[in-house]
Amino acid sequence: MAVSGRLVLLALLGALPIVLFPGALPALIWAGLLAAGVAVDLLLAASPRRVGVRRALPATVRLGEGCVGALLLSNDTGRTLRAAVRDPWQPSAGAANPEQRLRVAAGRVHRMEVSLLPARRGILTTGSVTLRSYGPLGLAARQLTLPVPAELRVLPPFLSKRHLPSKLRRLRELDGRAAVQIRGAGTEFDSLRDYVRGDDVRSIDWRASARRRDTVVRTWRPERDRRVVIVLDTSRTSAARIADEPRLDTGIEAALLLAVLAQHGGDKVDFLAFDRRLRARVDSGAKANLLNALVRAMAPLEPELIEADFSRIPAQIRSVSPHRSLVVLLTSLDSGAVEEGLLPVLPGLTAQHLVVIASVRDPRLGELRAVRGTAADAYRAAAAERALLDREAVTARLKQLGAEVVDEHPLELPPRLADTYIRLKAAGRL
Amino acid sequence: MSRHAAPRRASVQPPSALPADLPAAPTAAGPTPADTSAAPAAAARGITGDGGSVAATGRRRLRRALPGLLLAFVIAAVVVLGLLTRTDADTTPLSPGNATPTGSRAVAEVLGDQGVEVVHARTLAEAEAARARLPGATLFFSDPNGWLNEEQLSSLNRSFPSRVLAAPSEPQLLVLAPEILPAGPAEDGRGAVRAGCNEEEARTAGEITGGGQLYSAPVECFSSPAADGGTGASYAAVEGTVVLGNPEILMNGTIEEAGNASLALSTLGAGESLIWYQPSTADLAGATGPPANPLELLPDWVNSLMLWLLGCALLAMLWRGRRLGPLAVEPLPVVVSAAETAEGRARLYQGSRAVRHAAENLRAATLSRAAVRLRLPPSSARAAVVQAVAHKTGRRREDVHSLLDGPPPSTEKDLARWAQQLLDLEKEINNS
Repeated sequence: MAVSGRLVLLALLGALPIVLFPGALPALIWAGLLAAGVAVDLLLAASPRRVGVRRALPATVRLGEGCVGALLLSNDTGRTLRAAVRDPWQPSAGAANPEQRLRVAAGRVHRMEVSLLPARRGILTTGSVTLRSYGPLGLAARQLTLPVPAELRVLPPFLSKRHLPSKLRRLRELDGRAAVQIRGAGTEFDSLRDYVRGDDVRSIDWRASARRRDTVVRTWRPERDRRVVIVLDTSRTSAARIADEPRLDTGIEAALLLAVLAQHGGDKVDFLAFDRRLRARVDSGAKANLLNALVRAMAPLEPELIEADFSRIPAQIRSVSPHRSLVVLLTSLDSGAVEEGLLPVLPGLTAQHLVVIASVRDPRLGELRAVRGTAADAYRAAAAERALLDREAVTARLKQLGAEVVDEHPLELPPRLADTYIRLKAAGRL
Repeated sequence: MSRHAAPRRASVQPPSALPADLPAAPTAAGPTPADTSAAPAAAARGITGDGGSVAATGRRRLRRALPGLLLAFVIAAVVVLGLLTRTDADTTPLSPGNATPTGSRAVAEVLGDQGVEVVHARTLAEAEAARARLPGATLFFSDPNGWLNEEQLSSLNRSFPSRVLAAPSEPQLLVLAPEILPAGPAEDGRGAVRAGCNEEEARTAGEITGGGQLYSAPVECFSSPAADGGTGASYAAVEGTVVLGNPEILMNGTIEEAGNASLALSTLGAGESLIWYQPSTADLAGATGPPANPLELLPDWVNSLMLWLLGCALLAMLWRGRRLGPLAVEPLPVVVSAAETAEGRARLYQGSRAVRHAAENLRAATLSRAAVRLRLPPSSARAAVVQAVAHKTGRRREDVHSLLDGPPPSTEKDLARWAQQLLDLEKEINNS
């Protein structure tokens, strides 16, 4: 049960007769009237227990885009439902109108639309729906909270998709359509066809030409069906914010761009999110809707506040792809974490796979480095230089061990990682 | 690629197509226009009710509120019992109805047992009425607050020829017994005071408790030193008037000490009846009735209005206090800035004044970047870098050497300037 502001207002109005006609009687009469009004309202209010509540909610929405979480309220009572309804979305769901007053005639269905504009990637939840059904006088209401849980999966925004057209063009240039018919690294035999004028005479297949009357040339195409394994580190280092974005989210952007690109390049893409155990996995089997599967798997990822266990990564990669693959590790290059965790494992990985280590570089360090006005600034610049030097030392060691390193600012990381992939593919190192 | 240029819609629509499409949001199920539809309610039945009922909810609420209700009941019972059993005990000092140590019920009872009729008067009118009823009565008068004015005292003087005054003040003495003069308070330090006079009552008592006020009069008994150095008597008498300087001899707590009881009974029990008059606020000059209660000046609807507004306030609390459903829970993410470790290290340098260490860091970084810029191998010796930098920038070799290979600064002030010079050199290398 709940009372309304109208009841309080009426009660305050009761002060008037009390002042005009002193004594207990007007107060008693007025209180009796109010009590009668409340009783009438409670008796005549549509029972919230007989109102059906159903959700109509999109399963997913991309971060930065709005959606509508609708509630279908069916009034099964014989009375008009005058209600305040609340759908308690968590604040980061950005619900614009989670509380609404509405009126549903007997036997009708009302669609209550709550506009959502999520502010955070992940799984957003709401647990219940509360109905407050007012009586005809609007003085008192019956209130009921129904368990109608729902969740909305907010997918990563994939803002780096704007780089996709240019990268795809570069990828196609590698492809046969761009007339790269030269035999060499990064290409494999495609087919034999008749010689036409203009073909490179070096590509004539003499043995095939001898079998037939005509001159036959071999055609080549870029290697296909290579394997790309993207490993996203979700350990404590991924929680650090760089340019007000967690490393994890930048890593997700980079992984998405690379995965889409590699899929268009004809390669098989597998995705793992790992810290001490597997957090998410997408197999190359989901070829048709790889991006779909990826964003769904990535949506609930959160940085875990534990240290990554790199010693288990080789086994994980082996379980995904037993053959030589391009292994892309999206992690951090903080000295300490890398030396303890990644360096001992890396030789084993590079022996079997081609390893690319991608990391986000903090532009703030560069800013700190260049300000040297006061002693405090100089100390800060020295600390930033030390961090950068350590980073370079780590990078150098990783390169010594045979890994490719991509260390870029947050906005630059996805396109640079894509460039690295294209370069490696062009060089036939996949 | 025109699909990429499609404007992003910020509403219901699923994300517009990508090359590899993002999952299309399944549209809201069911044919449901935005407003109330005529569709039968059964079509959209989801969850109905919480499986409870009004009675069940009431029982649950009652069970939850039971401890509180019990507590409230116990408190109310205690308060009501306390109100019912409260006695209107007389706590006025020297009152004949007061049984506490400062009261005088003992004296009054004993006097009553001996056949003296004790009438307790609280106003002048009461006292005079009793006087009219009991013509030969003795007056016991105690007015430490001085409620009576001169006129009222004179009327008292006229009405009562025989009286006992308990520690009277100077204005009271001036009217009631001008021959007796106050002699100030007695010296501190209690002890029995001997009679030392020929008055019969005093001699019978022998000694009484000392203290209280002292007086000088034609007949003085129980003399003792006063606080200001003189002497005075605890018992002073003139024709028809006896002054008792120390009212404690009448109090329940001290009446049994020394000869207090004897003196009290003999002075108060001289007549057949005793009017025990203790003026109250009702005797104040100009007071015609009981004193005006300021609350009674208010209109008579104020009380009921206050009660009503209290009720309204309770209703308003119910109105605002009832939440529309449970609170929403937000799991908050961790917020760690990545540059925090660098900032922390800077503070450590500064805290330990590690000027040398900071300078080495700055120099090492400049050297490594200069080596890259000048196409030198990363492992090249400092001298080689210095040589190349001097060649590239056109600076004197000694200057470059002192900056890149010389002794580092030792004070914080020098550090800032030196660091800036390093930065300038680096810019020069990059620009030349």
